[in-house]
Amino acid sequence: MAKILLVDDDNKFLDATVQLLEILGHQVVAVASVAEARDALKDQVFDHLILDLMLPDGSGLHVLDAMPKGYEQASKVTMITGHPSIKSIVRNLYGPNISYLIKPIDLAQLESLLDDSVTPDVSTSKHFGYLVGESSPMLKLYQMIERVCKTRANVLLMGESGVGKEVVASAIHHASQPSGAFVPANCGAFARDLISSELFGHEKGAFTGASHRKAGVFELADKGTLFLDEITEMPIDLQPNLLRVLETGQVTRLGATSAIDVQCRVVSATNRTEAMIAEQGCLREDLYFRLAVFPIHIPALRERIEDIPLLVEHFLADLNRQYQSAITITDKSTQRLMTYDWPGNVRELRHAIHRAFIMADPQTNELELPDDFSSPFSKAGNRPVESGIAVGKTIENVERELIETTLEHLGGDKKKAADMLGVSLKTLYNRLNGYADQSGENI
Amino acid sequence: MTLDIRKAIHDIRNPLNTISVNAELGKLALSRKGDVDKALAAIEVILQECRTCADQLSQLSDTLQENAGE
Repeated sequence: MAKILLVDDDNKFLDATVQLLEILGHQVVAVASVAEARDALKDQVFDHLILDLMLPDGSGLHVLDAMPKGYEQASKVTMITGHPSIKSIVRNLYGPNISYLIKPIDLAQLESLLDDSVTPDVSTSKHFGYLVGESSPMLKLYQMIERVCKTRANVLLMGESGVGKEVVASAIHHASQPSGAFVPANCGAFARDLISSELFGHEKGAFTGASHRKAGVFELADKGTLFLDEITEMPIDLQPNLLRVLETGQVTRLGATSAIDVQCRVVSATNRTEAMIAEQGCLREDLYFRLAVFPIHIPALRERIEDIPLLVEHFLADLNRQYQSAITITDKSTQRLMTYDWPGNVRELRHAIHRAFIMADPQTNELELPDDFSSPFSKAGNRPVESGIAVGKTIENVERELIETTLEHLGGDKKKAADMLGVSLKTLYNRLNGYADQSGENI
Repeated sequence: MTLDIRKAIHDIRNPLNTISVNAELGKLALSRKGDVDKALAAIEVILQECRTCADQLSQLSDTLQENAGE
């Protein structure tokens, strides 16, 4: 499977070619202008760029100019042209590494172009085009995705931070092959006052500052998939609005008089467990049942240690392709990676590999792992495993754990933490200073 | 040959291109997926593009006749 950027301003051609390439098992990002292509190139690496020579805001050659350094070798480039004579002109400009598709394009042309673009060094196969891993918890996950993608049911993804909830959401979207788009939104990132506008959109003049009509994420995800991350961070008093949209399948933009029909699968995600959702009351019960028609637990990385070598191989192949290098990892290093418990899950592993990749020994071309993997968060992340009230624990320890966990949950906001704990801010500071002194003594 | 006529001939390749890709899509949708709806949608696009192509050819023919008249 190759990751392809397709740039052409002819919508009918674009639509059909995207579908064609997807049936052939490739992953395609399609855009219609030089500007959009530049944006896409900023944060993604493609195996192959297929560019129309004539675009509304420039030419395919402008896209090539915008490619980051070193990219030319990493990706194959193909120009779509109407006339074979263009070939020789472009070749003079950009060298022989460019392939050509001559209109009208047929399947044989496309296949011959992409056959060899499936880079042989990427041997890790991805499930649904996104997920890596062959462990039994992952196989169960694949099975669930397979079942749910045939339905329109809403999915609630549960898993620790860093397990890849958005990746799973993308996989579900991809597996369902809907005609609409995948629209990710983070409920924790919206400003409180703007949540409704972000979700449902607004009309021009709906409120001060609403200078344009704006479509909400529900509308954007029509006939596709809406991914609501950190759903439990949504203020409880705003949840009934969300519930109403889910129940009626209709969205009313703020300030609008009529409702619009929207049909989309809502995949929501939280890093809390079902028990926590129920206990902490962060999600209304009626909304929970609407969202969690099909709940899926994503396993933590420590529950699928056997996948670590595959994941490492996959991350390494990505980095090697991006930087045109051939860094490898020794069995000993892989073993070491498998002994750590990765509280930050796959995200932490990916960053650790990236760091080790940068540190790689230029002589041997081997990854250089740090002596100690633990991040400042890993200590905090570990705590829940051993937390809770156990016989023999001192009240002081339990209190400290409560304070630290609360602070961590609130991202270190001491004022909010004090409110939540029902103590004054001063008391909280006194406690924290006390802990700092204690750890100072320990050193 | 004037520039306009060159451009017109070049532009006729665009609907042909869409026809070609959609024909391949229809074929693949049926043979690999048995997806009749997708195939029908592709055929619909092909028919539209055939009409576009025919219109462009008539225009080109008119332009050529005018030029010959001059």
